[in-house]
Amino acid sequence: MRGQKTVKRLGYPILKQKAFLATVAILVIMIFPKTGFYTSYNLIELLKAAAVLEILAFGVTLTVICGGCDLSIGSTMSLSGIIAILLMSHVPMWIAILAGIASGAVIGFINGFFIVQQKTEPFIITLGTGMVIKGVCQQLTDAKPIAPDNPMFVKLANGLAFGFLPNVILVTIILMILFHLLLRYTAFGRNCYAIGGGYDVALYSGINVIKTKWMTYVICGMTAAAGGIMLSSQLNTGSSIYGDNTALLVNCGVVVGGTSFAGGIGGIPQTAIGLLLFSVLENAMNSLMISPYIQQATKGVLIVLIIWLDCYTIKRKNEAV
Amino acid sequence: MDIDMSEKDSVFILQVENVCKSFPGVKALDHVTIEVQRGVVHGIVGENGAGKSTLMKILSGVYTKDEGTVIFDGEVIERTTPIQSLNRGLSIIYQELNLVNTMSVGENIFLGRFKEAKGMRGTHTKAQKLLEQIGCSIDTHTMVSELSVSQKQMVEIAKALSFNSKLIIMDEPSSSLTNDELKGLYKIIGDLKQMGISIIYISHKLDEIFDLCDMVTIMRDGNVIDSKPITELSREEMITKMVGRTIEKEYPERPYCVGAPLLEVRNLNTRKLHNINFTLHKGEILGLVGLVGAGRTEIIRAIFGADKVKGQEVLIDGKSVKIKGPKDAIRVGMALVPEDRKQQGLILSQSVETNITMAALKDHVKGIFLDKTSQKKIAEKHVASLAIKTPGIKSRVVSLSGGNQQKCIVGRWLEIQPKILIMDEPTRGIDVGAKYEIYLLMKKIVEDGGSIILISSELAEVLSMSNRILTICGGRISGEFNPEEVSVNSIMERVLG
Repeated sequence: MRGQKTVKRLGYPILKQKAFLATVAILVIMIFPKTGFYTSYNLIELLKAAAVLEILAFGVTLTVICGGCDLSIGSTMSLSGIIAILLMSHVPMWIAILAGIASGAVIGFINGFFIVQQKTEPFIITLGTGMVIKGVCQQLTDAKPIAPDNPMFVKLANGLAFGFLPNVILVTIILMILFHLLLRYTAFGRNCYAIGGGYDVALYSGINVIKTKWMTYVICGMTAAAGGIMLSSQLNTGSSIYGDNTALLVNCGVVVGGTSFAGGIGGIPQTAIGLLLFSVLENAMNSLMISPYIQQATKGVLIVLIIWLDCYTIKRKNEAV
Repeated sequence: MDIDMSEKDSVFILQVENVCKSFPGVKALDHVTIEVQRGVVHGIVGENGAGKSTLMKILSGVYTKDEGTVIFDGEVIERTTPIQSLNRGLSIIYQELNLVNTMSVGENIFLGRFKEAKGMRGTHTKAQKLLEQIGCSIDTHTMVSELSVSQKQMVEIAKALSFNSKLIIMDEPSSSLTNDELKGLYKIIGDLKQMGISIIYISHKLDEIFDLCDMVTIMRDGNVIDSKPITELSREEMITKMVGRTIEKEYPERPYCVGAPLLEVRNLNTRKLHNINFTLHKGEILGLVGLVGAGRTEIIRAIFGADKVKGQEVLIDGKSVKIKGPKDAIRVGMALVPEDRKQQGLILSQSVETNITMAALKDHVKGIFLDKTSQKKIAEKHVASLAIKTPGIKSRVVSLSGGNQQKCIVGRWLEIQPKILIMDEPTRGIDVGAKYEIYLLMKKIVEDGGSIILISSELAEVLSMSNRILTICGGRISGEFNPEEVSVNSIMERVLG
């Protein structure tokens, strides 16, 4: 009985999720053509490609649930990798990595100051801070890719856990579980939903709305930075161009997953699937050797389609005769 | 000899002494003194703008008072915040209910106190117990967005109980309740009183004040006019004190202008409506009565083209018309004064002028630009003819009182001279004086040849103003009455089905 209820509570929303259905549809379609899609090598590569975006998206989900968004994550991701790689020549690797993540926290703190404390528009502010950070990245690297001194750094993301699972995927799974628990079962997480669902209500219920919302930006900066460390390790290179398309893609994936820009609804499982959809789609299209231009257009069509279908179902539900 | 302080503490839960509050240009509260005894229901009445809401916001800590003393439960309270007030045992249930729609009932009750409630499981068990205490059987896992207004109110009351409230202030709690739901609320208030909880009950509806309250305080223009036991006041006295002038009657004389059939609706069916047929005559005020959710608003939405319908035929002046959306409805001469003034009726952040002229904008175009002069002329004409109290036509609508906001909407539609004016709860949240003006306006509209469909939860209003009454129950028309020959009871019988 209890189990059934839990299945209903957790499973039902996922099953109705358009992103989930689309992912399943692609996976089913890919059974038929003769491609390298269903090889263990390709599937691991698929997850590796998704992993970094997922890490970024977990933090973004927090800000979106609180009724905000964060477009500075792409540059933050670049910056943390660059900082870690530059520092690595002078200090132990783990300190360099922590410094990279700390840079994300600082950026999140600044974003939070403007958005939450000074009550400005998150979209424009994070777009602006993102541009600033990108400039900093270019300055630090002279806009050239840089390589780490420490040969161990590349193992951080690419090393194998249990002999088969790349570390980056393991880290993503651990973070996913942690963030899910954070949102679902802690006071902080529930307060995020309350703030996004009704800011004034949360305020008058004694929730420290400023602190909580501010915190989401700090966390979001930190996940972006952690993602950046992972990406730089994966590629064994730091570069200022990594984050160019990331921010929009991740924010978009979060919304496609089912976390509403209006705030108050959504969650980590939805985000995980929303982002996974993009990776599955891209990988499938690569396996089918579809031209990159068509790929780009297809991704756009899928985004529009899913958001439209979501709104259409709601509209139909309200108007049904 | 005066009673000493400690004895006074035990008598009064709340003492407000000489509290003042000014906003730029307005003295919202002017030396207000109110004493609320323990375990009583204390009514506060007054027109909009009398200062009731300001006083409540000072008590809850949303505003800070300029001067004066507030003593709650024997403790002098200088500055407070909403959460401190709650923890002291003072809860306010606002008119616009304060719940997070996207969260569950249980989580809303313990919002921000997740740890205190011992996690998710504790939250739901405790919330369930509180709801049972007030005889309410909502599942605490339900999303608040799925609840009816009265259920949401119960959740708010349960939330107040969860703070061990000693005083619960209810601001216009009945404004969206049906009679049945109101009875439920009466019972809950009775139970709360039994538990020794004091209630401050703010309402425009004098019937409720007389039914429920032990004491009543009358406010006007930021002052307390009178405060006495309800038994020492008559209805007329109360109204006179509220408005500061004598109002002879609450309603003007019923207009009699009914002519030939104007609007005929045949076979209207939607998801919630079944086989609706009715006729509206020229110069008629047709009252629609029903419980919230019975389908009153749905009928209007369907005729107006806002909802999908099947198999309906609408005839105007005997000719069949196709209405696919509000635009078509307006074209054939309908206009809607919606139920939710602030959400559906007005653009609050815009000026009086913009709000009045927005329906007739295409008539104020010169070349490709808007004709500012004619817009201004129209707005000024309606402000004058409807006696809209506003500093000027450029003032923002949000700063006007409810009655004057409503008049802006009526003015907007009068400009396009509709044949049929549909008014959904036109006097909700409007004070007695302004209500009378709205009634006069309705009378004038039908006398000038218009027709009105009036939807209202206030039975007295429908009985006094309309020429004919239709009762709606479960999506069907359950009866038709002549308001001059029918008793309230026989109408209620049909309303309840």
